Amino acid sequence: MRTEKVIFAFFIVLALTLNFGFFLGDFSNVAHHNVYELFAAIVVSLIATVLKFGDRTHLGSVFLATSLVADLQLICAAIVWGMNSQGAGATLDEHSLATIISLSGGALLANIISVVLLVAETINLRR
Amino acid sequence: MPNLIYLLLRRLRSPLITLILVYAISMTGYVLIPGENNNLEPYQMSFFDAFYFVSFMGTTIGFGEIPYEFTQNQRYWTLICLYATVISWLYGIGSLLSVFQDPAFRQQTKLNRFKRSVTRIRQPFYLICGYGETGRKLVRDLANDGILSVVLDSDEGPINDLEVNDLSISPLWLKADASDAQVLEIAGVNHSFCQGIISLANDDRVNLTIAIVGQLINNNVRLIARADTKEAESNILSFGANEVINPFETFASRLALALHSPGLHLVTEWTTGPRDKKVDEFSLPVKGTWIICGFGDFGRAAYRYLDEVGEKLCVISADRQGRDVPAGTIIGRPTEAATLKKAGIDNAVGIIAGTGNDPDNLSVLMTAHELNPNLFRIAHQNEDKNKPIFDAAKLDLVMQRGNLIADKIFALLRTPLLGDFLRIIGRFNKERANQLASRMIGVMGSDYPELWEITVSEEEAPALYERLKYSDIFIKDLLRHPDNRDRSVSAMVLFLKRGEGNVILPEDSRKLRRGDRFLMCGNKTANHKMQITIRNASYLEYVLTGMRLPDSWVWRTLMKNKEFSELFNKT
Repeated sequence: MRTEKVIFAFFIVLALTLNFGFFLGDFSNVAHHNVYELFAAIVVSLIATVLKFGDRTHLGSVFLATSLVADLQLICAAIVWGMNSQGAGATLDEHSLATIISLSGGALLANIISVVLLVAETINLRR
Repeated sequence: MPNLIYLLLRRLRSPLITLILVYAISMTGYVLIPGENNNLEPYQMSFFDAFYFVSFMGTTIGFGEIPYEFTQNQRYWTLICLYATVISWLYGIGSLLSVFQDPAFRQQTKLNRFKRSVTRIRQPFYLICGYGETGRKLVRDLANDGILSVVLDSDEGPINDLEVNDLSISPLWLKADASDAQVLEIAGVNHSFCQGIISLANDDRVNLTIAIVGQLINNNVRLIARADTKEAESNILSFGANEVINPFETFASRLALALHSPGLHLVTEWTTGPRDKKVDEFSLPVKGTWIICGFGDFGRAAYRYLDEVGEKLCVISADRQGRDVPAGTIIGRPTEAATLKKAGIDNAVGIIAGTGNDPDNLSVLMTAHELNPNLFRIAHQNEDKNKPIFDAAKLDLVMQRGNLIADKIFALLRTPLLGDFLRIIGRFNKERANQLASRMIGVMGSDYPELWEITVSEEEAPALYERLKYSDIFIKDLLRHPDNRDRSVSAMVLFLKRGEGNVILPEDSRKLRRGDRFLMCGNKTANHKMQITIRNASYLEYVLTGMRLPDSWVWRTLMKNKEFSELFNKT
């Protein structure tokens, strides 16, 4: 057991679970989607990206790519959220909420690929 | 390039994670801590507000408390975040700078830059391994001739001078071990414009390795190597080197040549010597005893060659346990008058100072001069920086290793046929050599000789090549002056290579064939004039037949008309 591997797997799985938690719920109901959860998902996803830096193998490159996709989608979602909730008493309309959720859905897919890769790598390790 | 980015990212992993965490915690704090707006109504910062505030706080820009003035609680939190973000930024920037300063990173940057510029080369270049005195002179000579060089040297020192150089073509260089196959590949051994590898390391083993690696990676490339011992020389030759140059052997053999065949010595000096001054014949003493001081690589070579031509020799060696010194060797310090006297300096005709120490060599020669002013004095100059003192000492002959090799290699690079030519004339007897020397003086005059090659090919001699398809051309036609065919240019053919066959000093009535390679000798003007003849069809026509071809299209069309051309030729 290596601490480095534990931390690595922890952040990758956490990025997926947070993303999933945010995505879960009705598309048009703001109450089902917590903004703090989106924030946490972005932060964890960024950390996972940095952890994937510097691995020169082919698998490492794909890892990094999936993470970058997730970051991009989540940050886009956050920007949409921020832009549509500014101003006095503005609330999210259904249309923008749907955009946010679908963007995070894309990120979820990227995170799933990332976890699948992690599992595949682990299974491939011969003991 | 990819290597660099990954190296950078890997090093910056922990500062980046720190930065992300600190930002995340600070932002969460601002979003959670209740604030007030201007009307003292409760106001919760949004994530955007928090990110905006933390961003300018962390970078110490500080626009103030926005969107509304902070409450006391928010200010406490700001106090904590302020220090945390500034410190994590400093940590990040510090790590970034230290990565840039890192020797491994800088070496990688240099390697990448070197690699990129080598792949971008679009002109013929030579790969030079080893940048000592020889390398420096060779690079300078090549640059003056408009040829690019790529330099490799693993030692700290002279190669750094290349960073600031005043050469007309700035060479590409890398501080790396040239005997590493990967480095050689990066330096362009396989490059389609690579003309040759020149291996000039001080260590014979390194030269041997470069020769082996070079030939294995690309055996089409020309290879010229330096070797200090006879064994290394034959070893490198066996790995397919085109030329191997042994500085001591070269100098000693020339000395022997000067003694027993002055003509041949002059031809060798003219063809492979320095390009800036003409070597004059020097009067060597009549036969008698020569004293050789020091029995290292240089002394040994001098002894062997002079012994071969039948000179009487006396060796002085300071080494008491000297192995295989010849019989009659005097053991002692050659700088002392007593030792020199014991070696019979009063009756000697010449002295060779060949120790590995420049002050010693000079001191020997000064002492010898006092004892016997008529001595012919030859010195081995070990270091380039001592040139002024050797010049001031007004010696008869100075052997300077770096220049000797550099001049010879430069000559071989300019005219590759020279190697074969010199090997063949080495077997000439005295009379033939003297004849050759006087013929060369005839064409070169008082200037130093210009050597050049002519290849009868479509690229180098287009007019000649075309013409040979339907008519015979003789060597004497080639030497006619393009402005007045009754005169000839001041040039001569030294050597002809036709396929595998060699013809030394081909006669004037020999026919040219396509693919022939000629080694020419003459002066600069002659070279220029001959280039005109072999490249320009109308000049070639004039030289061959005396007819001047019309140059312009109008005139050519008119001349095709029979009546007109008859009219013109009549008048």
